[in-house]
Amino acid sequence: MQVSFRYDQTSARLQVDGLPDFSRGQHSGTLGIVSSWTLSFVGLTQLEGKKEHLQALLRVVLPYARHTLSGIDKTFGDALSPVSISSFKDREGHLMKLKSSQKDVEPLEILLDDAELADLVRCLDEMRLDPRVQIKWDVPNDRPLSKRETATKWGYTSRFGQPFLATLAFLAFASILILLPIPQNDYRTTPVLSDTKELENQ
Amino acid sequence: MIGHLSYFAKGFKTKAIETFSLTSAFQTPYKVLGRRGLERLDLLLLVIESLDLNGSQAMIWNSHQLGFDKYFPNSVELWKARCHNPLRKKSRRGALKIQESEALISLLSSMATRLYPQIHQLLSKKEPQDITQARWKLFQERFYELVQERMNHRRGAVQRILHDHQTERIGRHLVLTLALIAGPGGCDRLRASLLDRTP
Repeated sequence: MQVSFRYDQTSARLQVDGLPDFSRGQHSGTLGIVSSWTLSFVGLTQLEGKKEHLQALLRVVLPYARHTLSGIDKTFGDALSPVSISSFKDREGHLMKLKSSQKDVEPLEILLDDAELADLVRCLDEMRLDPRVQIKWDVPNDRPLSKRETATKWGYTSRFGQPFLATLAFLAFASILILLPIPQNDYRTTPVLSDTKELENQ
Repeated sequence: MIGHLSYFAKGFKTKAIETFSLTSAFQTPYKVLGRRGLERLDLLLLVIESLDLNGSQAMIWNSHQLGFDKYFPNSVELWKARCHNPLRKKSRRGALKIQESEALISLLSSMATRLYPQIHQLLSKKEPQDITQARWKLFQERFYELVQERMNHRRGAVQRILHDHQTERIGRHLVLTLALIAGPGGCDRLRASLLDRTP
């Protein structure tokens, strides 16, 4: 009954073990209940845990990859989450912190390079989209980022530079116009009635 | 040691290219790509050409394999779709049709999956440093040449790409993008990132 699926990439391997959930009508050969999982990186520590930990890994790593794609460095995973990931030293790597549920155990830090991150993302993608794994993972959908989210990437110069220059140009142009003397209209170009009378008297 | 060797052998095993269909791509919300989306899409295809000397031909073959003959029956039609990039020397006005942009996204993701071993080698810090540097140099030279050949030099974005330090940084980010859009979930991630709203 025990089923085990393995997802291999060049430097990462994810193995998920479990059972089919017969109460939901799943047949043998599918995985509905995760009993354990292991994640190994070549030359790094092997990670293992329960379904909750795998869920936390999915919730943190996939949105991080999505933001990395848009060029935004953001830390994912709060103080309560067993996993967190952030950019390391100006995109030199990706620092993944794993907190143990056991007390007095120091959090484990793993520094991944870009290739290892891509391998991890591919392993997780293959697992969550595998039709044999019939578990509904709570993973946020990939969505376009809002202006506010992408604003950090562009910096103040790119965001406010053009509107600032436009305002400056408008003010300069307006002040030049103000300094110009208003042309005085000569209303007496045509002879007025009083003037004609004067002329007649003469 | 034997364990390690067998591990690597399994890791390098190439997998069959996943077949994408336009109908499956449409299951997630889609919109017309904006200016920046078109720019990025074309630049990513340019990176594919920089990584693979026969990239343009491979794109056509892949397009046939994915069933996109209707949109890109030959290299001219593919080129015409790519010319919607406003940074091109001979750019076409107007937006790319949704079906065409979806086909290009699927094609790009499929090409990234195909070239994944090469992309992985470029990004890995565990590879010998001198070999990695030589690979990067080769890639950057080719990317620089292609940008210079096809893009409008008067555009600020193109000038930034052609700037010495920026070529390396932008090229690296584009290669990382290709690494993250390879595989089954890559299409959705790429589509979402191309539709980002920019200030």
